[in-house]
Amino acid sequence: MPIALLKFPNDFLREVFRLCDPFDLYKLSKCSKTCSQKATMLRDTKKWKIGFSALNNAAIWVDGSIYYFNQTDNPEDYFKTKNSGMNSTHMDVEFPIVDLFIYLVDTFGIRIVRIMGIGSDNFHNVLKVAQVLIDRRMEIESFRIFDVRKEQDVVNFMPLMKQMNIIQEFKCFLKFPPNFHFEFVKYPRHIYIDYSSWFTIDQLLDCTSAWIDLEKSSLNNHDLDVFLQKWKKKGTFPNLRWLEIGSEKIDDQSPILEMIPPIKNVTNPRKKVSINGGGYIIDGVRATKDDGTEGWLKVELGGWPILKFLV
Amino acid sequence: MSSTEQGTSSAAPAEPTTAPESAAAPEVPESFYYVHGKDKVVHKVSAGALQHSALIHGMISNLGYTEEQAKANPFPFENIDGDILQMVVDWCNQHKGKPTPPEDTNLPKQKEKLFDLVLAVNYLEIKELLTYCCKQVAMMVKGKSPEEIREIWMIPTDAEDEAAEKEAKKRAGKEAAGETAAAAGDAK
Repeated sequence: MPIALLKFPNDFLREVFRLCDPFDLYKLSKCSKTCSQKATMLRDTKKWKIGFSALNNAAIWVDGSIYYFNQTDNPEDYFKTKNSGMNSTHMDVEFPIVDLFIYLVDTFGIRIVRIMGIGSDNFHNVLKVAQVLIDRRMEIESFRIFDVRKEQDVVNFMPLMKQMNIIQEFKCFLKFPPNFHFEFVKYPRHIYIDYSSWFTIDQLLDCTSAWIDLEKSSLNNHDLDVFLQKWKKKGTFPNLRWLEIGSEKIDDQSPILEMIPPIKNVTNPRKKVSINGGGYIIDGVRATKDDGTEGWLKVELGGWPILKFLV
Repeated sequence: MSSTEQGTSSAAPAEPTTAPESAAAPEVPESFYYVHGKDKVVHKVSAGALQHSALIHGMISNLGYTEEQAKANPFPFENIDGDILQMVVDWCNQHKGKPTPPEDTNLPKQKEKLFDLVLAVNYLEIKELLTYCCKQVAMMVKGKSPEEIREIWMIPTDAEDEAAEKEAKKRAGKEAAGETAAAAGDAK
């Protein structure tokens, strides 16, 4: 038995639309512009977050659940949903994926990208989506670069990335060519770079991130000593909570903060210091900033020398 | 005679019946109030059941009516159809003094009444019942295609919306022209 929904009072409609998920509102947007506009306004969809994954699908994050929109060429599958557990549901739609992403952003007025990944399979789509994000000045909480077959494509993409407003996290798993160079305009809160030999000490000294994780780095004892000596000065690196450097160039030939690696506290009982977000150091050596702020340092040698510093 | 529990009612001024009491008799005698809708059928409802309605609860909280005064002054809800008020009263009685279960099986099932029920519940400010009605309306379209949603929720197409808008503008234009002509006639 049909009911004339739009004749209901707005308070009631707001409650009805609150119970509608992004799939419902997407389908509603296909019914009528007027109804869709009312629904998106009353549902306050501007607070939703969108994502664009390396698997070439778009997703919306809302109320602790993820709604994946997957492109299909089979009309029989349009609007079919499938629950994949862990609070995630999939729906097949007719749009090409980039058009769909733009449609979702525009229809729901979304301003924040929860996560976006670049991989071999979606590279050309990411190029287009990145331009949309830049044009609309959207915030990107997390951006990840996975292993792309043609790394030169990503090298060419990086100037575009400079214009992207990445706020929370940048993760890079790609090994760039040896002559690669990139300067961040603005650092997100958390950076993780797997093949980080291109990330120089000058960049580290300018880095404003709270969480810095550089693996396969080319930084040496001297570089890290310079960094930590700077950290000890009042007012420097106010955001820093965690630094992790994996580098074959860390050795026992020169000091870091007046100590020759390996650096760990062996005299006291074992002590674990941890911070929110998962970082921890066991048997670290205390380092104190001029303003009294306490940090904990541990440097291990062996096959994979590593420095960990927690504030 | 009105029996709010069984859904059978007769027109006023017949004597209303009492809704069945809960098994455990209250220590303090329960007070009752009387309501009627558009059909003038009077329903006797306990204050406990009426607590679900923020509107009625606000009206009765400081009245201090005696049984006779309450009977003589039923609350009129002329904007609510009798059968809809009956549904609301039934629901209030069934949920008197109880936490409402997450899945309420006592919801009215007739969808053709849902629209009027929502308006009544919204007016009477019965928050929990309104939430359930919303849920029922929202669930109507789960898993449906856009075309099915349009039918279920009677959503006009963009073309229909545009045509209606044009028509409304045309009508407004005619009315304005009519008013201008009338004003000119008056001036003469």
